[in-house]
Amino acid sequence: MRFLTICAVLLLTACSANDQAEVEVNVDTCDLEYTRYQATVTGYCQEAQAILPLEIPTIEKTIVLRSISSIPEVFWYSTKMKYSLVKQAEQAPLVFIIAGTGASYNSEKMISLQKTLFQQGYHVISLSSPTYSNFIINLDSSTDFPGVLEQDAKNLYRIMQKVYQQVITENNVVATTFSLTGYSLGGAHSAYVAKLDESEQTFNFEKVVLINPPVSLYNSVNILDSYLDLKENGPDAAATMLDDIFRGFANSYAEQESSSFSQSAIYALFEDAQLSEAQLKLLIGASFRMSSTDMLFALDVSYNVGGIIYKNHVIDKFESITHSMYRASVITFKDYFEKVLVPWQQESEVNLTREELIARLGLKNIESYLRNTTKISLVTNADDIILAEGEVKYLQDVFGARAKIFPRGGHCGNIDRVSFVAYMHSQFQGVDE
Amino acid sequence: MVSLLSGCSSVPELENNVEAPRVKLSLAYEKIAVTNQYADPWEGFNRRMYYFNAKADQYLLLPVVAGYKAITPDLVEKAVSNFFKNLGEFAVFINALLQGKANVAVETFGRFVVNTTLGVFGVFDVATTIGLDEQNEDFGQTLGVWGVASGPYLVLPLLGPSSLRDATGAGIDMFALQTVIDELGVSGEEEILLSFLRSIDTRANLPFRYYASGSAFEYERLKVLYMKYREIQIAR
Repeated sequence: MRFLTICAVLLLTACSANDQAEVEVNVDTCDLEYTRYQATVTGYCQEAQAILPLEIPTIEKTIVLRSISSIPEVFWYSTKMKYSLVKQAEQAPLVFIIAGTGASYNSEKMISLQKTLFQQGYHVISLSSPTYSNFIINLDSSTDFPGVLEQDAKNLYRIMQKVYQQVITENNVVATTFSLTGYSLGGAHSAYVAKLDESEQTFNFEKVVLINPPVSLYNSVNILDSYLDLKENGPDAAATMLDDIFRGFANSYAEQESSSFSQSAIYALFEDAQLSEAQLKLLIGASFRMSSTDMLFALDVSYNVGGIIYKNHVIDKFESITHSMYRASVITFKDYFEKVLVPWQQESEVNLTREELIARLGLKNIESYLRNTTKISLVTNADDIILAEGEVKYLQDVFGARAKIFPRGGHCGNIDRVSFVAYMHSQFQGVDE
Repeated sequence: MVSLLSGCSSVPELENNVEAPRVKLSLAYEKIAVTNQYADPWEGFNRRMYYFNAKADQYLLLPVVAGYKAITPDLVEKAVSNFFKNLGEFAVFINALLQGKANVAVETFGRFVVNTTLGVFGVFDVATTIGLDEQNEDFGQTLGVWGVASGPYLVLPLLGPSSLRDATGAGIDMFALQTVIDELGVSGEEEILLSFLRSIDTRANLPFRYYASGSAFEYERLKVLYMKYREIQIAR
């Protein structure tokens, strides 16, 4: 969710050649007025940041799942599937982490989770979301549209096996046990992967933690889609509001003493800009739409669908694809569901109804498994924006004592904060008894 | 130059059996594309340069930077970085004056004096610790303050995102820096070594990596971020 701000901030710092990337350890809290939207955008910065290692020994890895020559030219930089390994010196338990919607194995939240788990003595393998371009482009099965959780889980499970074999041979990783976690959509994926593992039994996961998962993917994406509503209010309203937000930032930057963009300076920008609820929602919605735009393009190119690209046309690496971005930017996830997922799934199952497919895109479909499986825990926030009314209660009911529900934090806003990290440490004890 | 810039095409050459995309383009939506409010008449050239820069990064700059970081202690890296930053204060100072920002000019002048003396030719950044904040001005911004529009987006070789205005400004800033270096009496091999080291230092301090976002639309998004960032800087 924080893609837009992070991206802006990263590039702002990147653009100014004079600013050295400063490592600020103790910038933790902010004085922003709390709302669930603010926490989702800036992080739950009212709570202190957990003390995590500054650097961890991350090994960037790639694996070839399909022949490089079969990767479309426009994705020439993405010809292998990327993932990462953080390795303990000795034999240790191993944990897989799955990223959220549109996020890569090395997104900011992933890195925070890597540190949290590495600190507990785990080898950590991080995988991108099946909705991330690099994942879609490299998938070795022929026509899988991401979002159908059971299918995604099969792909993830197969990739986890291959990746694990690779780190054994290339990095001499010795794993004593296996665990699994993931945030947001990655949380829902974790649940399905855990279920699959019960029958396949390759990993026999010891511990699985679902972090801020959607209960119903369909509900969640409708909520996020609604934050950037181009059809009802027209594109002008959103464009004007984005301009206002930028102007707010520009004005407050002008007032700042220093020209650098440190973490505290960024909080200060948000404080001054005093974004309204509607503006924060717009940022979340726009960032989500950017993720979906990337996903749609990767899918369209992979399967030659012809939705936002020219069908049967090979896109040259210097070719302008801006028109595809425009086309995709008006497509909501709901459109994707109605126009792509439903017809595609119905091709293989003629009698499948829309309602049945909606049910498959969520946790309710595997409720009895989740109720009875003690190895699975759930952590979320009572004010998570992706949960529709009644869904927090539902999670509480299904997971019972295995649910930890923080009162605040929005969607994943507290992932690097003290109490969340303490909770994760209580779940992932690491060292063998 | 202009014909070179506009000569490369980025328009797709369509094969015979091609079908138009099913989602139709609607002009109104271009506004929102979070992504695009800036014309890009030199897109063909820019995309090629973007690709070239990514390759140059991969095969030349980043390996050199990695080697530099491996053999240089962190303390020395920081010292080198501070040294060049201090040289750069000269351009910041002049540009602050040209924009009529007396307080920025004074602060920058103070930084230069403190860091050149107490900081031993700029090797230590004493000024920041005593509360003289680092400022960021360049001739591109000065032109912007004077009312010069950005002109078309332009991706420069090795240097990356820029605009016609900012590229001009960068040229003038470089000329100013060159004057300082000449004044210092550095020339010949020393000068080459110095500018080589400065390039490495500049790249080492940029966390940006081409195509690291994984997005197919990184080119478009970086363009908007660059243009917006410059607007924010100029408004300051």
